[in-house]
Amino acid sequence: MTRILLVEDNEMNRDMLSRRLVRKGFEVDMAMDGQQGVEMAVAGGYDLVLMDMSLPEIDGWEATRRLRAAPETASTPIIALTAHAMSGDREKALDAGCTDYDTKPIELPRLLAKIRAALGESE
Amino acid sequence: MTDAPVPQTVQEWRHELRTPVNHIVGYAEMLLEDVTEAGLEAPATALREAIAAAKDAVTLINATLAPERESVDGADIAALGRALQGPRDRVATAMQHFVAGSEGMGPTFADDVRRILRAADRLIDVASPPPADEAHAPAPTPDDGAPASAARILVVDDVEDNREVLRRRLVREGHAVDVAADGREALDRVEAVAYDLVLLDVMMPEIDGYAVLRQLKSDAATRDIPVIMISALDDVEGIGRCIESGAEDYLPKPFDPVLLRARIAASLEKKRFRDQEKEYLQEVNRVIAAATAVETGSYDDGALADVAQRDDALGRLARVFDGMATRVRAREDRLRTQVHALRREIAEARDTAEHLVLEPPDPGKLPVGERFAGRYDIEDVVGAGGMGTVYRALDIELDETVAIKTLLPEFVSDPGLVERFKREIRLARRISHRNVVRAHDLGECEGVYYLTMEYVEGLTVRDLLDQRGRLEISSTIALGRQLAASLAVAHEEGVIHRDIKPQNLLLDAEGVLKVMDFGVARLAERSVTLTEVGLILGTPAYMSPEQIIGEEIDTRTDLYAAGVVLYECLVGRLPFDAKSTVSLIAKVLNDEAPPPDANEGEIPAPLTALVLTLLAKNPADRVQTAQELADQLDQMV
Repeated sequence: MTRILLVEDNEMNRDMLSRRLVRKGFEVDMAMDGQQGVEMAVAGGYDLVLMDMSLPEIDGWEATRRLRAAPETASTPIIALTAHAMSGDREKALDAGCTDYDTKPIELPRLLAKIRAALGESE
Repeated sequence: MTDAPVPQTVQEWRHELRTPVNHIVGYAEMLLEDVTEAGLEAPATALREAIAAAKDAVTLINATLAPERESVDGADIAALGRALQGPRDRVATAMQHFVAGSEGMGPTFADDVRRILRAADRLIDVASPPPADEAHAPAPTPDDGAPASAARILVVDDVEDNREVLRRRLVREGHAVDVAADGREALDRVEAVAYDLVLLDVMMPEIDGYAVLRQLKSDAATRDIPVIMISALDDVEGIGRCIESGAEDYLPKPFDPVLLRARIAASLEKKRFRDQEKEYLQEVNRVIAAATAVETGSYDDGALADVAQRDDALGRLARVFDGMATRVRAREDRLRTQVHALRREIAEARDTAEHLVLEPPDPGKLPVGERFAGRYDIEDVVGAGGMGTVYRALDIELDETVAIKTLLPEFVSDPGLVERFKREIRLARRISHRNVVRAHDLGECEGVYYLTMEYVEGLTVRDLLDQRGRLEISSTIALGRQLAASLAVAHEEGVIHRDIKPQNLLLDAEGVLKVMDFGVARLAERSVTLTEVGLILGTPAYMSPEQIIGEEIDTRTDLYAAGVVLYECLVGRLPFDAKSTVSLIAKVLNDEAPPPDANEGEIPAPLTALVLTLLAKNPADRVQTAQELADQLDQMV
């Protein structure tokens, strides 16, 4: 079963997204901030990380850089979730090492397509 | 709940508004999968409706916040907020389907319904403008009326999210809001601050909402604070319990903003009326207390001064009442002084009387020491007048001392006259007044006609004048006032006295005047020659001109006689005096009463004028009623 780590500080987003992914057959763990996200990702051997970019403590950009720097997660697909579809966010996310990028609010079918694509690429 | 800064850009607004919409859709889709799997058609329809409403919300959001727009202002957002109310209400309505229960739908089902409703609320929250100091646009009120007046509100809920949602929303409405996280904190806060409203969650650990409510309602100081209970959607029984325990209203969770605003506004309005009513009743109670104080003589002038400031009917009542109470007290003080003077004069006259050897009255016909008419033990002769003798007797039937006045045979020889007299006595018996000697009965025994009446131990004004010459001004006014009062009630009953004179005016030791013989003079009213007048009624000095010449008389004849009595009391002599009855009559008919001269006492001019008015030849020129005379004497110092 594909294991996903969802790093998201907003409780409702986290709850909804995780449950929807579980329903789609994924195994989902959750982290509530960047620090926890990095620790869990490095230790957990996840197939994919969904990373909210606006996080407390360590933000998503920095967390992504750290994951890329760690050998355990250097090649783990990371999909950035950003609040705003600002032009430049996409480049910024990819520069930080993200595999792909999606804007919130999340539209599940679109996100699922990106997850599948990222997993396919990594395999 | 995040306390995010107010969005600025179009994108930020889009994000803030799309997020709750996505939550609605996300959770609703999950629930839809569940109920579809379980084969439940009705819940599926409700969830599809919620999803459709949320998608309409997205359309509205996209229309206002199109990506190509460069900026957005408060009015755009306010308009969008109003537009989103429709989809939001549709979501709430659809979710009502699950209020009744969600058996068999999984443990998280009810939680997810709440999440959907919370997201729907959040949609409106985001689009509502922040408080006035941050926004230029006025809060969108659904009724388009004046915004609810600011109130001090306490929100009590153990769940921080709920507390915050409410607090933020109420602050936005312009209220001052405090929060309490449990029942204990709530009670402490209520004790310290006078809240206009308390929003109280039912389910809380330790002290729950019921206990807090009971506590608030059992304390007089907090009983009138309206309490709106916050309860779960499906807790109908609990809601009933709250209302029975004195809660003003209830709000189901999650909150419908329209309902919230309406219920809070209604509660505050009710409280405002109640406060006004309470304040008004307090003022009314002060007026009532003032009335009691007047009765007990402890009223302080001006005690109602601040109630009298009021700009309404109660203020007017207080002003009028204060004025009246002040006047009443001044009058009572005046009367007390006057009666006091009269009592002193009476006491002095009685002292003197004891040293005088009074001429023993005509022993009369009734045997002293024996029983008369089978009922009266005759004790003494107490007086004699033109019509007969007066006895003191014990009425053995009533065991009461009475006065018996026998009537000389010449007054009762005409049967027609006796009949008329009986009617007059029947009328006179109706007069019940402290200044009137009460008439009891007219009887006949072995040819002797007699009247029984209240026995009064006292002096006649004749006795008093004989001994003192004249009375002090205060005493005269006290006497005149009582005389006028007695005439007023008699005239009211249709009884004219016809023979007011000092001999008929009794004074007891307390200075209370008792007028005797109402109606008795009727007996003497037969055609007589002028020369007979003196024989029949003694001196005509107190008779009005119209009475002397046998014209039709009315109540004003008594006022003339009262004028003569008052003149005599003040000046010490009669207004008209002559050696013979005939010349006296001529003076009464023709002469003006001479005003008292300077050496006849310092009589106040208004009093002199009043007495001379009573002595007018033409009844129409006199003071017209006894009550008017009483009122005018009341004004005299």
